[in-house]
Amino acid sequence: MIEAIQSLRQQSAQISPPVVALLLSILLFLAGGLINPNFLNVAQAVNIVRLASFLGIIAAGQTLVIISGGEGIDLSAGAVVTLGAILTFRLSSGQNDMILPALLVVLAVGAVIGFLNGVGIIVLQVPPLVMTLGMTGVVQGTILVLTQGELIGNMPPLLGRLIAEPLILGIPGVVILWVLVGLGMWLLLERTTYGKQLFAIGVNRTAARLSGVRVPFIVILTYTLSGVLAAFGGFVLLGFTQTVFLNLGGPYQFPAIAAVVVGGTVLSGGKGSYWGTMSGALVLTLIESLLRALQLQEAYKLMTLGITLVVLISIYGRQRSVRQ
Amino acid sequence: MNTVSLSARNVTKRYGGVVALSDGNLDVQSGEVVALLGANGSGKSTLSKVITGVIAPNEGRLHLDGRAVTFSSPQAAKSVGITAVYQELSLIPDMTVAENIWLAHEPRRWGIAVDHREMRARTQDLIALFAGTVQSSLHPDALVNSLPPDERQVVEILKALSLQPRLMILDEATASLDSRQVARLFELIAEWKRQGMAIVFVSHRMDEIFRVADRATVLRNGASVGDRVISETTEQELVELMIEGMVAPDSVQGGQLAPDAPVRLQVRNLHTDLLKGISFDLHDGELLGLGGLQGQGQSDLLLALFGAIPCGGQVLLSGQPAHFSHPQQAMQRGLAFVPGDRATEGVLLIRSILENLQLPSWRKYGFPLNMVRARADAGQVAQELSLVMESLDAPVSSLSGGNAQKVVLGKWLLRNPRVLLLNDPTKGVDVRTKVEFYALLNRLRAAGTAILFYSSDDEELLSLCNRVLVLHDGRIRAELAGETLNHANLVSASMGTTNASNGYE
Amino acid sequence: MNSVALRRIALRHSYLLALLLLLIAVGINFYLQPNLFELRVLNSNLRNFLPLIILTVGQTIVIIGGGIDLSVGAIVSMANAILVTLILPESGPTEILIGILAAVGAGLAAGVFNGLCVAYLRLQPIVTTYATSFVYAGIALLILPRPGGNLPREFLRSYRGAPLDIPLALYFIVLAILIWLVLRSTRYGQYLFATGGKADAAYATGVPVNFVRFSTYVWAGLAAALSALALTMNLGTGNPRIGDAMTLDSIVAVVLGGTRLSGGQGGVIGSVLGVLILGVIRNIISFANVPTWSQTLVDALIIIAALAGPGLVRFLRRRTA
Repeated sequence: MIEAIQSLRQQSAQISPPVVALLLSILLFLAGGLINPNFLNVAQAVNIVRLASFLGIIAAGQTLVIISGGEGIDLSAGAVVTLGAILTFRLSSGQNDMILPALLVVLAVGAVIGFLNGVGIIVLQVPPLVMTLGMTGVVQGTILVLTQGELIGNMPPLLGRLIAEPLILGIPGVVILWVLVGLGMWLLLERTTYGKQLFAIGVNRTAARLSGVRVPFIVILTYTLSGVLAAFGGFVLLGFTQTVFLNLGGPYQFPAIAAVVVGGTVLSGGKGSYWGTMSGALVLTLIESLLRALQLQEAYKLMTLGITLVVLISIYGRQRSVRQ
Repeated sequence: MNTVSLSARNVTKRYGGVVALSDGNLDVQSGEVVALLGANGSGKSTLSKVITGVIAPNEGRLHLDGRAVTFSSPQAAKSVGITAVYQELSLIPDMTVAENIWLAHEPRRWGIAVDHREMRARTQDLIALFAGTVQSSLHPDALVNSLPPDERQVVEILKALSLQPRLMILDEATASLDSRQVARLFELIAEWKRQGMAIVFVSHRMDEIFRVADRATVLRNGASVGDRVISETTEQELVELMIEGMVAPDSVQGGQLAPDAPVRLQVRNLHTDLLKGISFDLHDGELLGLGGLQGQGQSDLLLALFGAIPCGGQVLLSGQPAHFSHPQQAMQRGLAFVPGDRATEGVLLIRSILENLQLPSWRKYGFPLNMVRARADAGQVAQELSLVMESLDAPVSSLSGGNAQKVVLGKWLLRNPRVLLLNDPTKGVDVRTKVEFYALLNRLRAAGTAILFYSSDDEELLSLCNRVLVLHDGRIRAELAGETLNHANLVSASMGTTNASNGYE
Repeated sequence: MNSVALRRIALRHSYLLALLLLLIAVGINFYLQPNLFELRVLNSNLRNFLPLIILTVGQTIVIIGGGIDLSVGAIVSMANAILVTLILPESGPTEILIGILAAVGAGLAAGVFNGLCVAYLRLQPIVTTYATSFVYAGIALLILPRPGGNLPREFLRSYRGAPLDIPLALYFIVLAILIWLVLRSTRYGQYLFATGGKADAAYATGVPVNFVRFSTYVWAGLAAALSALALTMNLGTGNPRIGDAMTLDSIVAVVLGGTRLSGGQGGVIGSVLGVLILGVIRNIISFANVPTWSQTLVDALIIIAALAGPGLVRFLRRRTA
């Protein structure tokens, strides 16, 4: 039986999903050119990477959570993104010198939410799906209490300049930021004890524990990081949208998970990479841009996203059979 | 019951590159008991699962009553009267005894509703077969997860019997039964034989095979290597068939313990759910064996010492209290533990050999991790263990069982442990690796490592250990050393024969 | 009574705790809303609870079978969109019947698709049904781009009735429980619990595990369509996002009802009680003068507390043990 799983894993490993995703995104970009020749130019390419950056940053925490295994998933990320943006909007009130303090508060709030998720999952043994889904309600409720329906505040002009506008050589700040996040995530996953232990608990929590890994600590830390990264995503997103609304982060929730899966991170945990997620974010952003170029309505967009993910899970994420 | 005959020819089963069964052959017919014999990993379970339709073979033929058959599912095998009692239980923990026994062939009323009354009555009749050897808590409405292991095994047997099979495979069915339950089972088998049932009896207990079987088929390394009529053979002959060409473990002899070796680990009145007060001393450079039947608390003892399960009592490590609540603490104090089940407890199958070897030690490579040094250290240990591998980056799943076990041991060697806890480390390991493994244990012992070594292989204990503690029912039943360390004593202490314990609390 | 018997009762009658919780909640609700038990109020309450009850019955079956269905809410939206599109204010019985059949057909089709993906393609249930929920939400939006629709007055009125002075919804609740009890008593019922309890053991015993898994999602699809019918008749209008919040509610109700999320245990009676608890708690929130903007938070906190409750009890017991 174990051997059967091995052979399945080995077969799927040969494809190298991140490479496939990257090729797919190039293919999609070229396909966009067939639909509309105006699609194929540098400005459009930069724009797509810029849009993908937001999704990619928001999906960073999701990558960690999914790698941690144990049916790990963070469905509260979208709501935390919204909360992060709203808090930045409100706390900075458009003042440039308040950006940093606002960011610190936002990160701390994200950490608290993620920590609570982790505690619920580890200590109270609520399944991650249900725990984070429930937390979504709490975060949305908090947003309503906080705002009382009125979104007061403003975006600091500096934030917009740093994030959305070209910073160096015509490259938008957020793209540079994304590359930095990518480097940070690579360091975290591949060059820290935490990263190595994270993969270990994703594969086999018993074996990890018997090798001295403090599994509960790593899991709680992972959800905390996911909260922090989602809140940071909200902060960054504000620089792009310039304004906030109550469901700002919601539309990113599903694409973020999809990006992780498209990038080849295994849903059952223990295997994956952030650069896969980055390629996945590019693929999903391109699909969305294509659909927009085709002037399809929202309904088709949802369906395409859903079907894309089902197809990709059926390639990468099949579970073992009861018959060997 | 009509007559039945089944023959399996050249059955092969591969998992990826690993061959579990290369040439399995078996013949059995009405009114006979055929013992299926072989060392661990020789393919006994695989062959029996092919016959019962649980595993789909890659090659080979099955003939039932002279006609070729293929079973697409366990249900297909059942419909022609073939069923099995498995070693790893096939019961649903949260369902009752009656529900489990009749699952998928429940008696029904009006064609649809499950007839619970009838089901209960018939279950009662089945349980009556084991009357006097089971407790009153074994009744039709008891939940399976509330039963002790031996009674679960009885339910498993009754479940197979409820199908009124023509051919029944008993796969290590006696492993968790007590002696009276075994005796009753053998009476029943004799009765079933008379009624015309064909029985395949898979076991590694030689005495039971000689008590119950008519013929024996021996498997070695996935292939059938011989057929013997029990009345015309000897234990010796069967054992030689099983291990022919294999190196007997006693080719590596244990060294002598230095008389003045200091006590490394002092255990006093250790108890857990399963252990009822264990006390012993373990010296530097000592290879202390743990023996006894499976599941008598050996694993619990090792896990408790390593801080993986809660325990009471006193443990001193080099004179200092050593009561750990997490393996990490034990690890930092120089303990190492090689778990019993490699795949589920020992390795991260899909991760690289490098990551598996370094998992307990990453912390010492700083931030960012010094991968050059980590790789060099891992490479050195791999070499020391003569690990046969593609590269350090290959996943552990690409290794053979023996080499994977070397990885489990290797990750602790990287930490130079003072105390090594081994839970049946040679189970399912090929002979060459075993010999290397014994040599390594001797090297470690010579270097002063204190080793506590549980093995389900008596020969291993006898030839390697200075001293053997035999566990039975959570207690140390005997301490064997020197003159008293022999096979007869080991077996009789394992059975707990010294006083008549009937298994009741 | 020994502890084994107690454990069996806890396992078989896992709804007892839910019943206790419900009685407390109803007590508080009654205190805040003294006319709670008047037929009119009772009828209106049960009418509001019925859609979620039906939906939760389906979710319970999936969860007992060892899975989970995150797409049920989207299927409700889809079926709701179909109903209000096919049934017009002037529609006669034939058109209404066609509308209902189309909605049920769509629900079944969605269930079949989920079942195929999870049972036969062996995809992970959580993310798969999450993904398919977007497909169904997309279809709902395609059929009904914006909220609206109007149904025949007579048709809607029939849902508000109370034959024999007993609210109509109560008949359906009893019917749902009866169907469950029949199902539970058949061989299929045994298969369901065996599959959710330990799939490989069930398979080795000859239980058609894949078919059972598949069938649970079909049940859920059917339940979602019927839930949409009740919801549509209750509200009299359509909204392509109407079912969004119902997915989480259905899972919460299952958990409140004492069914274990890992499968193999539990039942529909507990889940029905779970929905009633949720509904009564929401009544309490609205009658207890909780400020409007805090209602979502209070509601979410109560849900989290309910979900974490069993774990908290276990945690405390471990601590004291």
